[in-house]
Amino acid sequence: MSTDYDFDVAIIGAGPAGTSAALTLAKGGKEVVLVERGQYPGAKNVSGGALYGPVINELIPNYWEEEGFERFLTTKKISLLSDNKAVTIDINNQNFKEPPYNGVTVTRPKFDRWLAKKAEEAGAMILLDTVVEDFVWEGDQILGIKSGDDIIKSKLTIIAEGSSALLTEKAGLAKFPKPEHYAVALKETYELPSDVIESRYGLEKNEGFSNEMIGYAEGIPGGGFFYTNRDTLSFGLILNLKKLTKKKLKSTDVFEQFKTHPYIQKLIQDAKMIEYSSHTIPEGGFKHISKLYGNGVLVAGEAAGMLLNAGLYIEGMNFALEAGKIAGEAAIEILKMGDFSSNGTKIYENKLKKSFVYKDLKTFKRAAKFLDTDRIFTKYPDLITGLMEKLLINTGKPRKRIVKTAVGYVLKTMNILSLIKDAIGGWRSI
Amino acid sequence: MSKTEKIMTIDEKLSLTKLTTDKNYEHITVNQEICRKCKTFDCVYACPANCYKFSEGEEVDSPIIFDYAPCLECGSCRIVCPHGSVDWHYPKGGFGVEYKNS
Repeated sequence: MSTDYDFDVAIIGAGPAGTSAALTLAKGGKEVVLVERGQYPGAKNVSGGALYGPVINELIPNYWEEEGFERFLTTKKISLLSDNKAVTIDINNQNFKEPPYNGVTVTRPKFDRWLAKKAEEAGAMILLDTVVEDFVWEGDQILGIKSGDDIIKSKLTIIAEGSSALLTEKAGLAKFPKPEHYAVALKETYELPSDVIESRYGLEKNEGFSNEMIGYAEGIPGGGFFYTNRDTLSFGLILNLKKLTKKKLKSTDVFEQFKTHPYIQKLIQDAKMIEYSSHTIPEGGFKHISKLYGNGVLVAGEAAGMLLNAGLYIEGMNFALEAGKIAGEAAIEILKMGDFSSNGTKIYENKLKKSFVYKDLKTFKRAAKFLDTDRIFTKYPDLITGLMEKLLINTGKPRKRIVKTAVGYVLKTMNILSLIKDAIGGWRSI
Repeated sequence: MSKTEKIMTIDEKLSLTKLTTDKNYEHITVNQEICRKCKTFDCVYACPANCYKFSEGEEVDSPIIFDYAPCLECGSCRIVCPHGSVDWHYPKGGFGVEYKNS
Protein backbone atom coordinates (compact mmCIF):
# COMPACT_ATOMS: atom_id res chain seq x y z
CA MET A 1 0.00 0.00 0.00
CA SER A 2 1.08 3.55 -0.63
CA THR A 3 2.12 5.56 2.40
CA ASP A 4 0.81 9.02 1.61
CA TYR A 5 -2.02 8.99 4.13
CA ASP A 6 -3.25 12.25 5.61
CA PHE A 7 -4.57 10.53 8.73
CA ASP A 8 -4.63 7.13 10.38
CA VAL A 9 -8.40 7.34 10.74
CA ALA A 10 -11.10 9.58 9.25
CA ILE A 11 -14.39 9.67 11.16
CA ILE A 12 -17.66 10.82 9.62
CA GLY A 13 -19.98 12.57 12.05
CA ALA A 14 -19.27 14.37 15.34
CA GLY A 15 -22.17 12.90 17.31
CA PRO A 16 -21.68 10.63 20.34
CA ALA A 17 -20.43 7.65 18.26
CA GLY A 18 -17.96 9.54 16.07
CA THR A 19 -16.63 11.79 18.81
CA SER A 20 -16.23 8.93 21.25
CA ALA A 21 -14.21 7.08 18.59
CA ALA A 22 -12.14 10.20 17.88
CA LEU A 23 -11.43 10.75 21.55
CA THR A 24 -10.36 7.13 22.04
CA LEU A 25 -8.06 7.24 19.01
CA ALA A 26 -6.57 10.62 19.91
CA LYS A 27 -5.89 9.42 23.46
CA GLY A 28 -4.17 6.40 21.88
CA GLY A 29 -1.85 8.74 20.01
CA LYS A 30 -3.35 8.22 16.55
CA GLU A 31 -3.72 10.82 13.82
CA VAL A 32 -7.45 11.28 13.54
CA VAL A 33 -9.78 13.69 11.74
CA LEU A 34 -13.43 14.10 12.78
CA VAL A 35 -15.57 15.44 9.95
CA GLU A 36 -18.91 17.08 10.74
CA ARG A 37 -21.45 18.39 8.23
CA GLY A 38 -23.07 20.76 10.76
CA GLN A 39 -22.05 24.29 11.62
CA TYR A 40 -20.91 22.83 14.94
CA PRO A 41 -21.20 19.38 16.54
CA GLY A 42 -24.84 18.87 17.51
CA ALA A 43 -26.24 21.43 15.04
CA LYS A 44 -28.01 18.68 13.11
CA ASN A 45 -28.83 16.49 16.07
CA VAL A 46 -31.99 15.88 18.07
CA SER A 47 -32.57 13.64 21.04
CA GLY A 48 -34.82 13.12 24.07
CA GLY A 49 -32.53 12.79 25.77
CA ALA A 50 -30.77 11.11 28.61
CA LEU A 51 -27.32 9.58 28.94
CA TYR A 52 -25.96 7.10 31.47
CA GLY A 53 -23.58 8.81 33.87
CA PRO A 54 -21.21 5.81 34.15
CA VAL A 55 -20.81 5.64 30.35
CA ILE A 56 -19.83 9.32 30.09
CA ASN A 57 -17.61 9.00 33.12
CA GLU A 58 -15.63 6.23 31.47
CA LEU A 59 -14.86 8.57 28.56
CA ILE A 60 -14.43 11.79 30.54
CA PRO A 61 -13.64 11.05 34.20
CA ASN A 62 -15.41 13.45 36.59
CA TYR A 63 -17.47 14.83 33.71
CA TRP A 64 -20.01 16.25 36.18
CA GLU A 65 -17.55 18.93 37.25
CA GLU A 66 -18.05 20.49 33.82
CA GLU A 67 -20.91 21.98 31.83
CA GLY A 68 -21.72 19.31 29.26
CA PHE A 69 -24.97 18.02 30.72
CA GLU A 70 -28.26 19.52 31.87
CA ARG A 71 -29.67 17.82 35.00
CA PHE A 72 -29.05 14.57 36.87
CA LEU A 73 -31.99 12.19 36.86
CA THR A 74 -33.52 10.80 40.03
CA THR A 75 -36.97 10.11 38.68
CA LYS A 76 -38.46 8.29 35.75
CA LYS A 77 -42.16 8.59 35.16
CA ILE A 78 -44.13 6.39 32.84
CA SER A 79 -47.60 7.59 31.89
CA LEU A 80 -50.41 5.81 30.15
CA LEU A 81 -52.72 8.29 28.46
CA SER A 82 -56.25 7.95 27.13
CA ASP A 83 -58.83 10.61 26.24
CA ASN A 84 -58.74 12.78 29.39
CA LYS A 85 -57.27 10.24 31.78
CA ALA A 86 -53.69 9.42 32.77
CA VAL A 87 -52.08 6.83 35.01
CA THR A 88 -48.47 7.56 35.95
CA ILE A 89 -45.89 5.34 37.57
CA ASP A 90 -43.30 7.47 39.35
CA ILE A 91 -40.00 5.71 40.03
CA ASN A 92 -37.84 7.82 42.29
CA ASN A 93 -34.46 6.76 43.58
CA GLN A 94 -32.47 9.10 45.79
CA ASN A 95 -29.38 6.87 45.34
CA PHE A 96 -29.14 8.36 41.86
CA LYS A 97 -28.29 11.78 43.30
CA GLU A 98 -24.57 11.10 43.63
CA PRO A 99 -21.93 11.35 40.90
CA PRO A 100 -21.27 9.78 38.45
CA TYR A 101 -25.10 9.82 38.40
CA ASN A 102 -27.23 7.03 37.01
CA GLY A 103 -28.50 9.28 34.23
CA VAL A 104 -28.27 12.88 33.09
CA THR A 105 -30.33 14.88 30.60
CA VAL A 106 -28.55 16.50 27.67
CA THR A 107 -29.28 18.81 24.78
CA ARG A 108 -27.26 17.97 21.73
CA PRO A 109 -25.84 21.30 20.56
CA LYS A 110 -24.38 21.65 24.07
CA PHE A 111 -23.35 18.05 24.82
CA ASP A 112 -21.99 17.18 21.37
CA ARG A 113 -19.96 20.40 21.26
CA TRP A 114 -18.59 19.78 24.75
CA LEU A 115 -17.58 16.21 23.90
CA ALA A 116 -16.01 17.28 20.59
CA LYS A 117 -13.94 19.85 22.47
CA LYS A 118 -12.62 17.02 24.63
CA ALA A 119 -11.63 15.06 21.50
CA GLU A 120 -9.96 18.16 20.11
CA GLU A 121 -8.02 18.72 23.35
CA ALA A 122 -6.87 15.10 23.14
CA GLY A 123 -5.44 15.81 19.69
CA ALA A 124 -8.19 15.03 17.17
CA MET A 125 -8.64 17.44 14.28
CA ILE A 126 -12.20 18.60 13.71
CA LEU A 127 -13.51 19.81 10.35
CA LEU A 128 -16.91 21.55 10.46
CA ASP A 129 -19.31 22.45 7.62
CA THR A 130 -17.86 19.51 5.72
CA VAL A 131 -20.18 17.08 3.99
CA VAL A 132 -18.70 13.75 3.05
CA GLU A 133 -20.20 12.66 -0.27
CA ASP A 134 -18.22 9.56 -1.07
CA PHE A 135 -15.15 7.55 -0.18
CA VAL A 136 -11.77 7.23 -1.76
CA TRP A 137 -11.95 3.80 -3.37
CA GLU A 138 -9.16 1.53 -4.53
CA GLY A 139 -11.00 -1.46 -5.94
CA ASP A 140 -13.29 -2.47 -3.11
CA GLN A 141 -11.05 -0.98 -0.42
CA ILE A 142 -12.04 2.31 1.22
CA LEU A 143 -9.00 4.56 1.61
CA GLY A 144 -10.48 7.79 2.89
CA ILE A 145 -13.23 10.30 2.23
CA LYS A 146 -14.29 12.85 -0.38
CA SER A 147 -16.01 16.16 0.16
CA GLY A 148 -16.47 18.16 -3.03
CA ASP A 149 -13.01 18.42 -4.57
CA ASP A 150 -11.30 17.71 -1.27
CA ILE A 151 -9.84 14.31 -0.59
CA ILE A 152 -8.66 13.02 2.76
CA LYS A 153 -6.73 9.78 2.62
CA SER A 154 -6.84 7.54 5.67
CA LYS A 155 -5.95 3.96 6.50
CA LEU A 156 -9.32 3.46 8.12
CA THR A 157 -12.68 5.21 7.96
CA ILE A 158 -15.30 5.11 10.71
CA ILE A 159 -18.84 5.99 9.65
CA ALA A 160 -20.92 7.57 12.42
CA GLU A 161 -23.28 9.65 10.30
CA GLY A 162 -26.47 8.96 12.25
CA SER A 163 -29.92 7.78 11.29
CA SER A 164 -29.94 8.80 7.61
CA ALA A 165 -27.25 6.34 6.66
CA LEU A 166 -26.45 7.45 3.11
CA LEU A 167 -22.74 6.68 3.35
CA THR A 168 -23.24 3.40 5.20
CA GLU A 169 -25.37 2.35 2.22
CA LYS A 170 -22.76 3.67 -0.20
CA ALA A 171 -20.10 1.58 1.58
CA GLY A 172 -22.30 -1.47 0.97
CA LEU A 173 -22.87 -2.08 4.68
CA ALA A 174 -26.58 -1.18 4.91
CA LYS A 175 -29.61 -1.69 2.72
CA PHE A 176 -32.06 1.02 1.73
CA PRO A 177 -34.25 1.70 4.81
CA LYS A 178 -37.79 0.38 5.21
CA PRO A 179 -40.49 2.52 6.90
CA GLU A 180 -41.51 -0.27 9.30
CA HIS A 181 -38.03 -0.13 10.82
CA TYR A 182 -37.99 3.63 11.36
CA ALA A 183 -39.84 6.18 13.44
CA VAL A 184 -39.98 9.93 13.13
CA ALA A 185 -39.62 12.05 16.25
CA LEU A 186 -41.16 15.51 16.41
CA LYS A 187 -39.82 17.65 19.19
CA GLU A 188 -40.39 21.04 20.76
CA THR A 189 -38.03 22.76 23.17
CA TYR A 190 -39.55 25.10 25.73
CA GLU A 191 -37.93 27.77 27.82
CA LEU A 192 -38.65 27.96 31.55
CA PRO A 193 -36.41 29.51 34.25
CA SER A 194 -34.52 26.88 36.25
CA ASP A 195 -36.08 27.93 39.59
CA VAL A 196 -39.54 27.59 38.06
CA ILE A 197 -38.64 24.12 36.74
CA GLU A 198 -37.49 23.12 40.23
CA SER A 199 -40.52 24.47 42.08
CA ARG A 200 -43.08 23.30 39.52
CA TYR A 201 -41.89 19.71 39.32
CA GLY A 202 -40.66 19.45 42.92
CA LEU A 203 -36.96 19.11 42.08
CA GLU A 204 -33.81 20.10 43.89
CA LYS A 205 -31.18 22.27 42.22
CA ASN A 206 -29.89 20.52 39.08
CA GLU A 207 -32.14 17.51 39.72
CA GLY A 208 -34.34 16.38 36.83
CA PHE A 209 -36.86 13.81 35.69
CA SER A 210 -37.91 12.05 32.54
CA ASN A 211 -41.43 11.12 31.56
CA GLU A 212 -42.27 8.60 28.88
CA MET A 213 -45.88 8.47 27.69
CA ILE A 214 -47.80 5.75 25.92
CA GLY A 215 -51.22 6.12 24.33
CA TYR A 216 -53.27 9.01 22.90
CA ALA A 217 -51.37 8.97 19.60
CA GLU A 218 -53.98 7.45 17.29
CA GLY A 219 -52.73 3.97 18.14
CA ILE A 220 -49.48 4.50 16.28
CA PRO A 221 -46.57 2.61 17.88
CA GLY A 222 -44.21 5.04 19.55
CA GLY A 223 -44.80 7.40 22.42
CA GLY A 224 -44.24 10.75 23.99
CA PHE A 225 -41.21 11.95 25.93
CA PHE A 226 -40.58 14.80 28.31
CA TYR A 227 -37.25 15.75 29.90
CA THR A 228 -36.25 18.59 32.17
CA ASN A 229 -33.06 20.45 31.26
CA ARG A 230 -31.37 23.34 33.16
CA ASP A 231 -33.73 26.04 31.89
CA THR A 232 -35.51 24.28 29.05
CA LEU A 233 -37.92 21.39 28.62
CA SER A 234 -37.67 18.77 25.89
CA PHE A 235 -41.01 17.44 24.74
CA GLY A 236 -41.78 15.27 21.77
CA LEU A 237 -43.56 12.37 20.15
CA ILE A 238 -42.16 9.34 18.34
CA LEU A 239 -44.25 7.74 15.60
CA ASN A 240 -43.54 4.58 13.59
CA LEU A 241 -43.36 5.64 9.95
CA LYS A 242 -45.09 2.61 8.48
CA LYS A 243 -48.09 2.77 10.80
CA LEU A 244 -48.36 6.54 10.46
CA THR A 245 -48.47 6.54 6.67
CA LYS A 246 -50.71 3.47 6.55
CA LYS A 247 -53.26 5.28 8.69
CA LYS A 248 -52.99 8.29 6.35
CA LEU A 249 -52.38 10.63 9.25
CA LYS A 250 -50.04 13.61 9.18
CA SER A 251 -47.28 13.43 11.77
CA THR A 252 -47.79 17.10 12.57
CA ASP A 253 -51.54 16.62 13.19
CA VAL A 254 -50.98 13.59 15.45
CA PHE A 255 -48.41 15.60 17.40
CA GLU A 256 -50.70 18.62 17.88
CA GLN A 257 -53.55 16.33 18.93
CA PHE A 258 -51.27 14.50 21.38
CA LYS A 259 -50.28 17.84 22.87
CA THR A 260 -53.88 18.68 23.74
CA HIS A 261 -53.94 15.96 26.42
CA PRO A 262 -54.52 17.62 29.81
CA TYR A 263 -51.57 15.75 31.34
CA ILE A 264 -49.23 17.22 28.71
CA GLN A 265 -50.79 20.66 28.85
CA LYS A 266 -49.97 20.78 32.56
CA LEU A 267 -46.37 19.74 31.92
CA ILE A 268 -45.70 22.50 29.40
CA GLN A 269 -48.07 25.25 30.53
CA ASP A 270 -46.73 28.81 30.58
CA ALA A 271 -43.47 27.64 29.01
CA LYS A 272 -42.39 29.36 25.81
CA MET A 273 -41.58 27.28 22.75
CA ILE A 274 -38.15 28.22 21.44
CA GLU A 275 -37.34 25.52 18.91
CA TYR A 276 -38.99 22.91 16.74
CA SER A 277 -36.96 19.92 15.57
CA SER A 278 -37.25 16.49 14.04
CA HIS A 279 -35.23 13.37 13.42
CA THR A 280 -35.73 9.77 12.37
CA ILE A 281 -34.94 6.82 14.63
CA PRO A 282 -33.95 3.36 13.40
CA GLU A 283 -35.97 0.94 15.52
CA GLY A 284 -35.65 -2.35 13.69
CA GLY A 285 -33.58 -3.69 16.58
CA PHE A 286 -31.12 -6.57 16.61
CA LYS A 287 -32.24 -8.16 13.34
CA HIS A 288 -31.67 -4.97 11.39
CA ILE A 289 -28.24 -3.89 12.53
CA SER A 290 -26.14 -3.15 9.46
CA LYS A 291 -22.96 -4.97 8.59
CA LEU A 292 -20.46 -3.47 11.02
CA TYR A 293 -17.23 -3.59 9.06
CA GLY A 294 -15.86 -3.75 5.54
CA ASN A 295 -12.61 -3.20 3.69
CA GLY A 296 -11.09 -0.17 5.40
CA VAL A 297 -14.30 0.79 7.17
CA LEU A 298 -16.22 0.45 10.44
CA VAL A 299 -19.68 1.78 11.31
CA ALA A 300 -21.02 2.79 14.72
CA GLY A 301 -24.14 4.29 16.30
CA GLU A 302 -27.48 4.90 14.63
CA ALA A 303 -25.92 4.65 11.18
CA ALA A 304 -25.57 0.94 11.96
CA GLY A 305 -29.06 0.80 13.48
CA MET A 306 -27.73 0.52 17.03
CA LEU A 307 -30.92 1.56 18.71
CA LEU A 308 -33.11 -0.26 21.14
CA ASN A 309 -36.78 0.45 21.51
CA ALA A 310 -37.95 -1.61 24.46
CA GLY A 311 -41.21 0.29 24.79
CA LEU A 312 -40.54 2.04 28.06
CA TYR A 313 -37.28 3.46 26.89
CA ILE A 314 -35.44 4.17 23.69
CA GLU A 315 -31.75 3.69 23.82
CA GLY A 316 -29.48 5.16 21.18
CA MET A 317 -26.99 7.72 22.48
CA ASN A 318 -25.49 5.46 25.15
CA PHE A 319 -25.04 2.73 22.56
CA ALA A 320 -23.41 5.31 20.29
CA LEU A 321 -20.95 6.45 22.96
CA GLU A 322 -20.00 2.88 23.79
CA ALA A 323 -19.88 1.60 20.21
CA GLY A 324 -17.78 4.63 19.20
CA LYS A 325 -15.33 3.89 21.98
CA ILE A 326 -15.12 0.24 20.93
CA ALA A 327 -14.65 1.26 17.27
CA GLY A 328 -11.80 3.52 18.41
CA GLU A 329 -10.19 0.72 20.41
CA ALA A 330 -10.64 -1.73 17.54
CA ALA A 331 -9.13 0.79 15.11
CA ILE A 332 -6.02 1.08 17.33
CA GLU A 333 -5.62 -2.71 17.18
CA ILE A 334 -6.26 -2.84 13.43
CA LEU A 335 -3.63 -0.13 12.87
CA LYS A 336 -1.19 -2.18 14.91
CA MET A 337 -1.91 -5.38 12.99
CA GLY A 338 -1.83 -3.58 9.63
CA ASP A 339 -4.58 -5.63 7.95
CA PHE A 340 -7.22 -3.16 6.72
CA SER A 341 -9.23 -5.67 4.71
CA SER A 342 -12.45 -7.01 6.20
CA ASN A 343 -10.40 -9.88 7.67
CA GLY A 344 -8.60 -7.33 9.83
CA THR A 345 -11.51 -4.97 10.54
CA LYS A 346 -13.63 -7.88 11.82
CA ILE A 347 -11.92 -7.34 15.20
CA TYR A 348 -14.45 -4.54 15.76
CA GLU A 349 -17.44 -6.88 15.55
CA ASN A 350 -15.80 -9.37 17.90
CA LYS A 351 -15.19 -6.62 20.43
CA LEU A 352 -18.66 -5.15 20.07
CA LYS A 353 -20.23 -8.56 20.69
CA LYS A 354 -18.80 -8.49 24.20
CA SER A 355 -20.30 -5.08 25.00
CA PHE A 356 -23.66 -4.06 26.50
CA VAL A 357 -24.57 -2.55 23.13
CA TYR A 358 -24.72 -5.88 21.33
CA LYS A 359 -25.91 -7.86 24.35
CA ASP A 360 -28.81 -5.50 25.13
CA LEU A 361 -29.90 -5.46 21.51
CA LYS A 362 -29.82 -9.25 21.52
CA THR A 363 -31.66 -9.57 24.84
CA PHE A 364 -34.48 -7.42 23.51
CA LYS A 365 -34.43 -8.83 19.99
CA ARG A 366 -38.12 -9.74 20.11
CA ALA A 367 -39.18 -6.32 21.41
CA ALA A 368 -39.48 -4.70 17.97
CA LYS A 369 -42.00 -7.30 16.84
CA PHE A 370 -43.91 -7.29 20.12
CA LEU A 371 -44.19 -3.50 20.12
CA ASP A 372 -45.59 -3.66 16.62
CA THR A 373 -48.90 -4.73 18.18
CA ASP A 374 -51.33 -1.81 17.99
CA ARG A 375 -53.06 -2.99 21.17
CA ILE A 376 -50.13 -1.87 23.30
CA PHE A 377 -50.61 1.71 22.21
CA THR A 378 -54.41 1.86 22.34
CA LYS A 379 -56.10 -0.91 24.31
CA TYR A 380 -53.77 -1.07 27.29
CA PRO A 381 -53.62 2.67 28.06
CA ASP A 382 -57.44 2.69 27.74
CA LEU A 383 -57.74 -0.43 29.87
CA ILE A 384 -55.55 0.75 32.73
CA THR A 385 -56.79 4.34 32.88
CA GLY A 386 -60.36 3.04 32.61
CA LEU A 387 -59.80 0.51 35.37
CA MET A 388 -58.32 3.14 37.70
CA GLU A 389 -61.33 5.34 37.06
CA LYS A 390 -63.61 2.43 37.86
CA LEU A 391 -61.76 1.77 41.11
CA LEU A 392 -61.67 5.39 42.24
CA ILE A 393 -64.91 6.90 41.00
CA ASN A 394 -67.40 7.85 43.70
CA THR A 395 -70.88 6.98 42.58
CA GLY A 396 -72.65 6.97 45.93
CA LYS A 397 -73.22 3.22 45.59
CA PRO A 398 -71.51 0.51 47.68
CA ARG A 399 -68.14 -0.60 46.30
CA LYS A 400 -67.25 -4.08 45.14
CA ARG A 401 -64.01 -5.74 46.14
CA ILE A 402 -61.08 -4.34 44.18
CA VAL A 403 -60.03 -7.64 42.61
CA LYS A 404 -63.59 -8.40 41.55
CA THR A 405 -63.96 -4.98 39.94
CA ALA A 406 -60.61 -5.33 38.21
CA VAL A 407 -61.13 -8.82 36.81
CA GLY A 408 -64.65 -7.96 35.70
CA TYR A 409 -63.50 -4.80 33.97
CA VAL A 410 -60.55 -6.45 32.21
CA LEU A 411 -62.65 -9.32 30.92
CA LYS A 412 -65.34 -6.96 29.69
CA THR A 413 -62.85 -4.69 27.93
CA MET A 414 -60.31 -7.09 26.47
CA ASN A 415 -60.38 -10.18 24.33
CA ILE A 416 -58.96 -12.87 26.61
CA LEU A 417 -56.98 -14.51 23.81
CA SER A 418 -55.20 -11.27 22.87
CA LEU A 419 -54.49 -10.71 26.53
CA ILE A 420 -52.81 -14.10 26.85
CA LYS A 421 -50.97 -13.62 23.58
CA ASP A 422 -49.64 -10.22 24.69
CA ALA A 423 -48.70 -11.55 28.11
CA ILE A 424 -46.62 -14.29 26.49
CA GLY A 425 -45.21 -11.89 23.88
CA GLY A 426 -44.33 -9.36 26.56
CA TRP A 427 -42.72 -11.97 28.78
CA ARG A 428 -40.56 -13.29 25.95
CA SER A 429 -39.54 -9.94 24.50
CA ILE A 430 -39.19 -7.40 27.29
CA MET B 1 -57.21 24.28 29.31
CA SER B 2 -57.81 27.99 29.57
CA LYS B 3 -54.10 28.70 29.88
CA THR B 4 -53.26 27.02 26.61
CA GLU B 5 -52.13 29.45 23.98
CA LYS B 6 -53.45 29.25 20.47
CA ILE B 7 -52.04 26.27 18.58
CA MET B 8 -49.07 27.38 16.52
CA THR B 9 -49.02 26.54 12.84
CA ILE B 10 -46.13 24.53 11.45
CA ASP B 11 -44.86 27.67 9.72
CA GLU B 12 -44.86 29.55 13.01
CA LYS B 13 -43.04 26.68 14.71
CA LEU B 14 -40.51 26.50 11.88
CA SER B 15 -39.82 30.22 12.25
CA LEU B 16 -38.32 29.40 15.68
CA THR B 17 -35.72 27.10 14.15
CA LYS B 18 -32.66 28.46 12.40
CA LEU B 19 -32.72 27.42 8.75
CA THR B 20 -30.31 28.68 6.11
CA THR B 21 -31.58 27.92 2.63
CA ASP B 22 -29.05 27.16 -0.09
CA LYS B 23 -30.54 28.90 -3.11
CA ASN B 24 -28.06 27.23 -5.44
CA TYR B 25 -28.56 23.64 -4.38
CA GLU B 26 -31.71 21.65 -3.66
CA HIS B 27 -30.55 18.89 -1.33
CA ILE B 28 -33.75 16.93 -1.99
CA THR B 29 -35.26 16.53 -5.41
CA VAL B 30 -38.44 14.67 -6.24
CA ASN B 31 -39.26 13.07 -9.57
CA GLN B 32 -42.58 14.67 -10.49
CA GLU B 33 -43.01 12.12 -13.30
CA ILE B 34 -43.38 9.52 -10.54
CA CYS B 35 -45.31 11.79 -8.16
CA ARG B 36 -47.95 12.50 -10.81
CA LYS B 37 -49.01 8.85 -10.66
CA CYS B 38 -48.81 8.61 -6.86
CA LYS B 39 -51.79 7.37 -4.91
CA THR B 40 -50.22 6.92 -1.48
CA PHE B 41 -48.75 10.36 -0.60
CA ASP B 42 -46.69 8.95 2.27
CA CYS B 43 -44.32 11.94 2.12
CA VAL B 44 -47.17 14.34 2.92
CA TYR B 45 -48.14 12.31 6.00
CA ALA B 46 -44.61 11.77 7.28
CA CYS B 47 -42.90 15.14 6.78
CA PRO B 48 -42.77 17.14 10.03
CA ALA B 49 -42.02 20.38 8.18
CA ASN B 50 -44.73 20.43 5.49
CA CYS B 51 -42.16 20.28 2.71
CA TYR B 52 -44.68 18.10 0.90
CA LYS B 53 -48.19 19.47 0.41
CA PHE B 54 -51.24 18.42 -1.55
CA SER B 55 -51.55 20.66 -4.56
CA GLU B 56 -55.36 20.92 -4.35
CA GLY B 57 -56.48 24.25 -5.72
CA GLU B 58 -53.05 25.06 -7.15
CA GLU B 59 -52.46 25.13 -10.88
CA VAL B 60 -49.94 22.32 -11.18
CA ASP B 61 -50.24 18.95 -12.87
CA SER B 62 -48.99 16.93 -9.88
CA PRO B 63 -50.88 16.03 -6.71
CA ILE B 64 -47.88 17.09 -4.62
CA ILE B 65 -46.03 20.38 -4.26
CA PHE B 66 -42.54 20.12 -2.84
CA ASP B 67 -40.35 22.76 -1.23
CA TYR B 68 -36.95 21.86 0.25
CA ALA B 69 -36.51 25.15 2.13
CA PRO B 70 -38.25 24.28 5.45
CA CYS B 71 -36.61 20.81 5.62
CA LEU B 72 -35.44 19.72 9.09
CA GLU B 73 -33.25 17.00 7.51
CA CYS B 74 -35.00 14.17 9.34
CA GLY B 75 -34.93 11.89 6.30
CA SER B 76 -38.48 10.53 6.67
CA CYS B 77 -39.49 11.24 3.06
CA ARG B 78 -36.63 9.14 1.70
CA ILE B 79 -37.69 6.24 3.90
CA VAL B 80 -41.46 6.34 3.31
CA CYS B 81 -41.69 6.96 -0.44
CA PRO B 82 -42.53 3.51 -1.86
CA HIS B 83 -41.99 4.70 -5.43
CA GLY B 84 -38.36 5.81 -5.21
CA SER B 85 -39.20 9.38 -6.14
CA VAL B 86 -37.16 11.10 -3.43
CA ASP B 87 -33.49 11.79 -4.11
CA TRP B 88 -32.13 12.83 -0.73
CA HIS B 89 -28.72 14.33 0.00
CA TYR B 90 -27.21 16.19 2.90
CA PRO B 91 -27.28 19.97 2.35
CA LYS B 92 -23.92 21.59 1.58
CA GLY B 93 -21.79 22.71 4.50
CA GLY B 94 -23.09 25.84 6.22
CA PHE B 95 -26.63 25.34 4.96
CA GLY B 96 -29.80 23.74 6.24
CA VAL B 97 -30.95 23.39 9.80
CA GLU B 98 -28.91 24.62 12.75
CA TYR B 99 -30.35 23.47 16.06
CA LYS B 100 -29.52 25.46 19.18
CA ASN B 101 -31.55 23.70 21.85
CA SER B 102 -32.57 20.24 20.65
